[in-house]
Amino acid sequence: MKGPLENGTLKSVPECGEKETALMPALYTAQKEHGWMSIEAMEAVAGALDIPKARVKGFATFYDMFGKKPVGRHVVRLCTNVSCILSGSEELLLRLRDKFGIAPDETTPDGRFSLVAMECIGACGTAPAMLVDNDFYEDLTTENIFSILEKYK
Amino acid sequence: MITVTINGKKIALNKPVTILEAARKADIYIPTLCNHPMLEPFGGCRLCLVEIEKMPKLQASCTQYVTDGMTVWTETEKVLEARRAMLEFLLINHPLDCPYCDKAGECDLQDSTMQCGPAIGRFKEGKRKLPECYDDPIIVTNMERCILCSRCVRMCSDVQGAHAITITNRGSKSCVEPFSGGRFDCEYCGNCITVCPVGSLMSRLHKHTYRPWYIEKEIETVCSFCGVGCSFVAQIRGDSIVRVEPRPDLGLNKGLLCVKGRFGFDYTASPSRLKSPLLQKNGDLKQTTWAEALSHTAGKLKEIKEKYGPAAIGAVASGLCTNEDNYTLQRFMRSVVGSNNIDSTTGFFYGPAQRFLEDIFGQGVTLNPMQGIANSDGVFVIGADPSAVAPVLGLQVRAASRKGIPVVTVGHMPGLKRFATCSLVPDAFSEPALLNRLISGLMKKRPVCGENEFFEGAIKKFMLSTGDDIADPCGLSNNDIERAVNELDLMTNPAVLIGRQVVQRSDASVLLLQLSVLTYLLNGRIYLISELPNDQGLVDMGCRPDMLPGGRPVFSDSMRKRYEDSYGSEIPSAQGMSLMEMIQAAHEGNLKALYVMGENLLPDLPDTGYVKEALSKLELLVVQDTLMNETAELAHVVLPACSWPEAEGSYTNFEGRMQHVRKAVHGEAMEGWKIISEVAKIIGSDFGFLTVVDILAELTKVSPIHKGITYAEMDGGKCLWPYNGEPLRDSAKDFALPDITLLKRAKDCGRPYLFADQQLFHSGTIGRNSSALSMLMPASYVKVGNALSEKKSIQAGDVAGIASGIKSAELDVIIDPDLKGMMVLIPNILADKGVMSFMKWNMNPDFKNPALDGNEIEISKLRSKAEEVSA
Repeated sequence: MKGPLENGTLKSVPECGEKETALMPALYTAQKEHGWMSIEAMEAVAGALDIPKARVKGFATFYDMFGKKPVGRHVVRLCTNVSCILSGSEELLLRLRDKFGIAPDETTPDGRFSLVAMECIGACGTAPAMLVDNDFYEDLTTENIFSILEKYK
Repeated sequence: MITVTINGKKIALNKPVTILEAARKADIYIPTLCNHPMLEPFGGCRLCLVEIEKMPKLQASCTQYVTDGMTVWTETEKVLEARRAMLEFLLINHPLDCPYCDKAGECDLQDSTMQCGPAIGRFKEGKRKLPECYDDPIIVTNMERCILCSRCVRMCSDVQGAHAITITNRGSKSCVEPFSGGRFDCEYCGNCITVCPVGSLMSRLHKHTYRPWYIEKEIETVCSFCGVGCSFVAQIRGDSIVRVEPRPDLGLNKGLLCVKGRFGFDYTASPSRLKSPLLQKNGDLKQTTWAEALSHTAGKLKEIKEKYGPAAIGAVASGLCTNEDNYTLQRFMRSVVGSNNIDSTTGFFYGPAQRFLEDIFGQGVTLNPMQGIANSDGVFVIGADPSAVAPVLGLQVRAASRKGIPVVTVGHMPGLKRFATCSLVPDAFSEPALLNRLISGLMKKRPVCGENEFFEGAIKKFMLSTGDDIADPCGLSNNDIERAVNELDLMTNPAVLIGRQVVQRSDASVLLLQLSVLTYLLNGRIYLISELPNDQGLVDMGCRPDMLPGGRPVFSDSMRKRYEDSYGSEIPSAQGMSLMEMIQAAHEGNLKALYVMGENLLPDLPDTGYVKEALSKLELLVVQDTLMNETAELAHVVLPACSWPEAEGSYTNFEGRMQHVRKAVHGEAMEGWKIISEVAKIIGSDFGFLTVVDILAELTKVSPIHKGITYAEMDGGKCLWPYNGEPLRDSAKDFALPDITLLKRAKDCGRPYLFADQQLFHSGTIGRNSSALSMLMPASYVKVGNALSEKKSIQAGDVAGIASGIKSAELDVIIDPDLKGMMVLIPNILADKGVMSFMKWNMNPDFKNPALDGNEIEISKLRSKAEEVSA
């Protein structure tokens, strides 16, 4: 699991003109620092930007890519939408399960990887595709996926 | 002129409105769900779709504005089909648990489906299942029933400004939730409950206790909690109020209510409700008959008057009682007893503040319509947080702020924190220095000369007196003050809101004079933040030691004569004793009898021990009240009066609007005015009051400002000050400038100072007797800021010991990061740990009210919460 927020506050607050304009970047920062959108993370964002807490929650829960539960050190978001499924991402899911013992929305016991089955990430031409944290990978195969994941400890 | 044709009917309009509004004007029905008169058009539910000629698609009539020559059809097959389809969609996940749902019978979804919906749905898939949530003590949520119209969320953020709830998740997983998911942790105004069209947000207080069609009668009345005077409909079943409902077209609150008004009314059915008279025998209060209680009271009063003279008798009126009760008590004191010793806790703030300002500006200067706040071009607030003590008034400030109007606040105001464009929190007691800096800053930007001798004299005096104060930052940065001056300079006709804390201190007259100067410089209108429903009524009814009904000074012979002729008895020309003077006199043994109506003196007066001693020395203490309380326990006679919903009468709110309080339920007690006139009758003076109409008739005869007013006129909501009468034209006495040397502030000596916390969920004795309000704020607490918490290493949740020299107690600690320096706040919730019981006081010589500043206290950590649990 990623570490807690330092004293319940964000380390860096993005600067934007209007407070609310900074909300999305701030949520992004919080996710990067904290890993997922815990109550504390949302409170930290609300406190940092002086935005009502409920408003932050409305935003944070609306977007799928803000995590709703604790995650490991690295989040693997594998696309399982039409093009990727047709190009074999279902097979990749099975391989990941065999290798790491996790199904979508689960985390490895050592806290290394969390797996998320994503909707389309806009790489249909080069399917199957995945995001590991914020790095984008396409043209995945049952071979290269493991060598990619090797880089993430 | 715009002409629009709806269903073949031509409608002429002066200004462009939405098709929905035009149709409603012409009595054409269009079903809606997300639309609400208190909210902005939203266009979310798509139920109000209509067909407009020359437009290819159906349009939402709630957001589409009419144009000249537009032809609209609302009942074509295409429209009806669309409505059926929309309702079928909405019902996919709706549980259709109408037999069990409290909303059934007044549900917009039920009504719309009944009128236009499909009889059967085609969806076979399972509905989403979400359990009803009972995490909150007051509001129960049922998200299965929610149709996501977002009326509640828009009410909470756009109107109430609390931003407590939101729509979380998305698509079919969407839910309306507070931040914590369960407990609302909000202002509990309940306005979301008002606007919810289905049974998704409901009050737990009357859940599953009745059906809307069981309501036997609906009585339009006025709330009994604060000085705003919100109107609502009390819904009655049997002999109790089941709920109160505000209506968008009713009263000045226009459909809004606060937590106290909406949920607090159950104090009238509290177990400590007094039902029969009590008489003290051998030190115990024993039940007795009305005849015995009244004759004992009358006999004893007569005896004391004969033995010690009328000056030995005093009376305490109450801002919780109606004009009729207060007028009768005043009449009793002036014509039967022959004394001006009548005052109330209104004399601590509202009365003297108004008198001071009226002496400067003229009578009625503080009585301005509430809508003026949202429509002004600036707001200045000092002395109280209106969103806590008079919440619907606070909403006006928030509405003003939402319009982009500059709002400057001085002091700790959590409810306006997010709404103030400039929020100044000076060090304790440095408000005069701060105001001086604001005045001198403003004078540089817009100097006045030769306009008004009085103000120029005052301004000059301030300027001369400042010297080193001019550089005093009052615990703020010079930038902050500069910014505030710039904000103030933007205002040309602002609302100036003045609250209690400005007046309950020894330099009150300086502060009020400064505020008058500021108002003069800003060309502002003054509002006094009244905390009781009838503060203004008390003043108008003459329940002040120096004023007769109609705001006439008692020392003016010509004015006094008018009342003497009418009452047929002499009224002393000397000013009577104020409430604290009466307590002092009782303590010294000079006051022998006190008639207390509707006030609970012990928790509401400073230095409880002293007050208790004083009251115990009285030969006669009569308490006429609706609830058994600490003061009544000391009384020789306790007379149960009708509670707020049990008697007819009127309240006058802070804007000087007389409003009709109607009898809603039957009570076992006697009307307050009736008790007093019965006592008078036994003493030998018959007022001839049979109903409240007689009292109003006498009032309109003797009071120069209340001319020819009737309850029917009040019902129209137009009975505004000066009530068809004559206000006092000239200032009664030469106004003396207060001693400006007081301006040198008491330097903050770094020790904790005690102040009263303004509580949204409580209003003293009556709030304590409401089970709903007690659930929201069950225990007292002490609030400290970051600086003090670090200095004394006290954390949130700790138990702290508080000692003020006259009282010590243990209280749970709350940390409020916005609280400055060494300030300590305690609310006046529980009688034995209320803030007033810790307070020492000095008599303010100008206002004869208690000055509560300089209350240094000791605070120390006793133990942490965890230790308490393990122990």
